[in-house]
Amino acid sequence: MTSEIATRNLSKWYGNVLGLSDVSLEIEAGITGLLGPNGAGKSTFMKLVTGQMKPNIGTVSVRGAAVWNNTSLFSTIGFCPEADAFYEDVTGWEFLTGLLRLYGFPDREVRERAERALDIVDLAADKDRKIKGYSRGMRQRIKFAQAIAHDPEIIILDEPLSGLDPLGKRKLIKLVKDYRAEGKTILVSSHVLPEIEAMTSRIVLVHQGKILAQGDIHYIRDLIEAHPHMISVTCADPRAVAARFVADRSILKMSFGTDGRTLVVETHNRDAFFSRLQEAVLEAGVEVDEIRSPDDNLQAVFDYLVGK
Amino acid sequence: MKPVDSNAPRPSPWLSVRRVFGFFFFLGRRTGRARVFFLLGLIPVALAVMVRILLAGRAAEAMSVFNDILMVFYLQFYVVILALFYGTSVLAEDIEGRTMAYLVTRPVSKPSVVVGKYAAYSALMAIMTEVSLTLSFFIMNSGRLGEASLYRVFFGYAGVLALAILAYTGLFTFLGSLLKRALLVGLVFGFGWENVIQYFPGSTQKFSVVHYLKSLLPRRPVTGRGTLSVLLFRLEPTATLPAILVLVLVGAVCVGLACWLFRTKEYLPEE
Repeated sequence: MTSEIATRNLSKWYGNVLGLSDVSLEIEAGITGLLGPNGAGKSTFMKLVTGQMKPNIGTVSVRGAAVWNNTSLFSTIGFCPEADAFYEDVTGWEFLTGLLRLYGFPDREVRERAERALDIVDLAADKDRKIKGYSRGMRQRIKFAQAIAHDPEIIILDEPLSGLDPLGKRKLIKLVKDYRAEGKTILVSSHVLPEIEAMTSRIVLVHQGKILAQGDIHYIRDLIEAHPHMISVTCADPRAVAARFVADRSILKMSFGTDGRTLVVETHNRDAFFSRLQEAVLEAGVEVDEIRSPDDNLQAVFDYLVGK
Repeated sequence: MKPVDSNAPRPSPWLSVRRVFGFFFFLGRRTGRARVFFLLGLIPVALAVMVRILLAGRAAEAMSVFNDILMVFYLQFYVVILALFYGTSVLAEDIEGRTMAYLVTRPVSKPSVVVGKYAAYSALMAIMTEVSLTLSFFIMNSGRLGEASLYRVFFGYAGVLALAILAYTGLFTFLGSLLKRALLVGLVFGFGWENVIQYFPGSTQKFSVVHYLKSLLPRRPVTGRGTLSVLLFRLEPTATLPAILVLVLVGAVCVGLACWLFRTKEYLPEE
């Protein structure tokens, strides 16, 4: 299969700040997830792919054609930006129809496409409300609608799930999968692994402007599983709980908070720790106030992967 | 993979400009800024009503007041402030408002975006200005509505204001595409340079836009006459055709430069 989007040694700087460094990537039809913490370079990559920015070094092409200033490409691309930015004084309907007219569709088709897109994102009932009155979730949905209203072959979604409620997220994930079934190419970014995981198994890990790893979700999962997790347990007698873990080989380190109520555990096997924790708490006869994973975020995993 | 067909018909630049024009002419009407500026345009109308009442029966004086006060208001304040805000925002509002992504990922060229927005905003400003001019002019001259010469003068004023909008908006569109603090620079230019240079003798004043506009006024104020004629104190007018050409050139060249800059330069919102 040949690539729909291809980059070669793509690099981008913002003054002295590195946005993207030497990224060579081939993206095929189907869903590809760009996963990385905030500031990793995901949005920069998407802006380069959609011709909003010019590479400092390297090339980016969509279907074999260079992107920068290539207007003939843009009928085939739909882009949903991350920024919560709109023409606030217009209604959802006016926003969509206005943007659709830029494609040169006749008026009737503009109306039909706008109606269809609004139906897809469940905003038909609110189409005549001004965007400035929309909730965060509605704004996210109208932003998605403008990306798909012209029925593009390539859909690029920058953090499309942020701000959506669980139901909205589920619907959008289903939509994205439906588009894949239609043979479209979808590039979607997120800093939340389960969100990406719910859409695709093809993942590209981005960190500090570089491609850290790419491949199947299982490979990425294995990398993440190898990361030692920190778990903090707050209870009345943390030492009694800790005593139950001394012989546990999956525990790498244990320490106590200065408040005398916190046990901080570092483990290679988080799932095993949690299942053992229940027993330990019962055996110690203490009541747990709080369980937290201070580093249970993607940034910590990335830091681990890059050897910080 | 379906390769991009490089022979696929591209929309003509004219069609793209029309699409962008339609979008922003509509958007421009919906903003609070348009309402504020439209209300600002009613100031000369209110003044005209007051002057008309005060100068009841003195038609010739009414025309002088219109020329010396209201046209000064239009040319040296209203049009400048409108063009400054709309012109500098042609690119800046979409860059700073982060809505540029919606425009540059559509099949319209970047120059079409600039020209279309410039045309849309110029049209909006023209409506605001010409409505205000029409009302204030005919209120001031309501006793002479039967005179054919009155309409010639009116269309002269209307034409000057239209040219003022085209030239100033073009200039400020260019400044907006070139500088990050274009509004500030535009303020200094529009209300500093453009005012001060009129007091300079000889050809120095030809380095201002307002010089050519005042050269085209159908009733040019005479030096030393009228209480506020000092504002037009040293006008050494340029002939009509060269003045029109200069104004059209200023607008066209500036918009052309803005298009070139937008096509080649990369605009990033400040984080």
